[in-house]
Amino acid sequence: MTKSRREIIGIKSVSKIYNLGDTIVKALDNVSLSINENDYISIMGPSGSGKSTLMNIIGCLDVPTKGTYKFNNEKISDMNDNQLANIRNEKIGFVFQTFNLLPKLNSIQNVEVPLVYSSLGRAERSLKAKEALKIVGLEDRMSHKPNELSGGQRQRVAIARALVNEPSIILADEPTGNLDSKSGTEILNFFDSLHKAGNTLIIVTHEDSVAKRAKRRIEIFDGKITLDE
Amino acid sequence: MNKIIKNILIGFSAIRSSFTRVFLTSIGLTIGIFTVSIVTAAVSSVDREFAKSIQSIGNDKIYVGRMPWSFEFDWWNYRNRPEIKEESLDYINQYSEYVTQSSMKQNYWTKATYENKASWLQMNGVYPNYNDMMTGTKVVNGRFFSENEWKLQRRVAIIGGSVGEGFFDGEDPIGKKIRLGGVSFEVIGELEKTGSFTPTGSLDQVIIMPTTTFQRILTRWTWNEFVLQIDPNNREKAKEEVRMIMRVARKLKPDEEDNFAVNSADAFTKQFNQMKIAIAGMGLLVTSISLIVSGIGIMNVMFVSVRERTKEIGLRKAMGATNSDILTQFLSEAIAIAIIGGTMGILLIRTTLYFIGSAIANIDINGMGSAIDLQMDLLLTFYTFMVCVFLGLIAGMVPARTAAKLNPIDALRHE
Repeated sequence: MTKSRREIIGIKSVSKIYNLGDTIVKALDNVSLSINENDYISIMGPSGSGKSTLMNIIGCLDVPTKGTYKFNNEKISDMNDNQLANIRNEKIGFVFQTFNLLPKLNSIQNVEVPLVYSSLGRAERSLKAKEALKIVGLEDRMSHKPNELSGGQRQRVAIARALVNEPSIILADEPTGNLDSKSGTEILNFFDSLHKAGNTLIIVTHEDSVAKRAKRRIEIFDGKITLDE
Repeated sequence: MNKIIKNILIGFSAIRSSFTRVFLTSIGLTIGIFTVSIVTAAVSSVDREFAKSIQSIGNDKIYVGRMPWSFEFDWWNYRNRPEIKEESLDYINQYSEYVTQSSMKQNYWTKATYENKASWLQMNGVYPNYNDMMTGTKVVNGRFFSENEWKLQRRVAIIGGSVGEGFFDGEDPIGKKIRLGGVSFEVIGELEKTGSFTPTGSLDQVIIMPTTTFQRILTRWTWNEFVLQIDPNNREKAKEEVRMIMRVARKLKPDEEDNFAVNSADAFTKQFNQMKIAIAGMGLLVTSISLIVSGIGIMNVMFVSVRERTKEIGLRKAMGATNSDILTQFLSEAIAIAIIGGTMGILLIRTTLYFIGSAIANIDINGMGSAIDLQMDLLLTFYTFMVCVFLGLIAGMVPARTAAKLNPIDALRHE
């Protein structure tokens, strides 16, 4: 079964170098990584290790200085801003530590944000947003604004937003960092179920308990991958 | 296209959440639009009134009088000039190639009375053919006086368009007897109301009669003019020719200056245009200052808005918004602010003009009410609207570009 899974992300000898005047910082140093469909990966590393940079590159928010990055066999490293925006819109679902919901919008409107930048009409957007909210179990909180929701509920709205475009991968950056342990566990259980449903998940964390749930652990230090199992 | 509309809607919805700020900012533009509109309305209505007056002076007329038509009226220089005499008109009729018709026009102000009503009006003594030479108005009720009535010095009068209202309370003026300078005249005709002014006063507040009657009953000492009909294409040649004939008629030596003036509407136009440019120039200055100031206000608010919502911009970009999506969103916000200000300005100006209009209609001095008619049409409103959109676009461009160019990673990290 493992062999038949399709490769989604292919990173080959990727470096990200920041030139800060006198000093040159290698945030990523010759990293290679392959991620397949339905992988469940945790990325760990201390701050400054380069895990954020790796996240940003995987999430198409940034492009590598050297090396090639292929997403679904498309070469990301050569793309312009608009093409990257398009990939982010259609293929990647982001979940952030601080949820990043827009405070003036209700749950449905927040979930609709990625769809606004696709070509869907209003009715279709609303329908899809409602479906996504049902998946995360918030069908009774659809017209609530973020300040009327608990932390766990907010993160679930954020996950619904990540799911709404049926992305190829879900990229979560410290998704339980701002949650109490009960809601954190709830969210992680939900990630497990998403994995079982066939989704590809990448979770960046510094908590061992979170990393243990993943089927594959990657550790990164000083811009290099030190563990991949 | 659909996407652009979605971004515009996002931009507009931002207005609601910071309405006080937006409202205060847009007041700047309200004042700007208000001044623009006042100036435009003033210039265009003065212009329109002027065009109407020029029309009644006539493009195809030249006038010979004692004094030139000028705003820089050097009265002391002209007061000793001899009166224009009827004899000179015979010379002109005899020698001019360009003048096709001519009439004497004598002016005199006197009291007109009917029953217990009295008013100071301008009397005009003219020739019978003046009927064919009037521009901008004509006899609409009754008739003009005849050749015979002129010869026989009959006491007949044709009244201006707004004389009748004052005297006869809507009754038909024809056949009524009015007293002019104490002598009874029969009203035989009434002119069409024009609402125009000429250098010698309103056309609607005159009483026209034969020169013969005029001289017998009223006065021989009057302000006389010749009204000469010409082909407007030959106006300059005609003026020069008439000037020469007048010099001969008055036996002026070559080194003597003219002691009369040949006037035409175009001289008046030149004077008027200078005045109009001065008004418009002042207006433009005030206007552009207020527009620039309000533009800076909008730009400032937009920079604040972009700063406040840096995180939102980062999030939207992570969710797939392109640079142009963000640009459209913030430009729409700026334009919306400008439109709010502009709309308030348009409403303000409309209300003001409405009240000015009704105030003027109540004070009808010499029929001036109909003359000053400030007009604000739909086209002007549309232009104002476009100015707002344009201003919003200009003022919003730099902040919106700043927003569009934000790096999503940095923007997301922004607190």
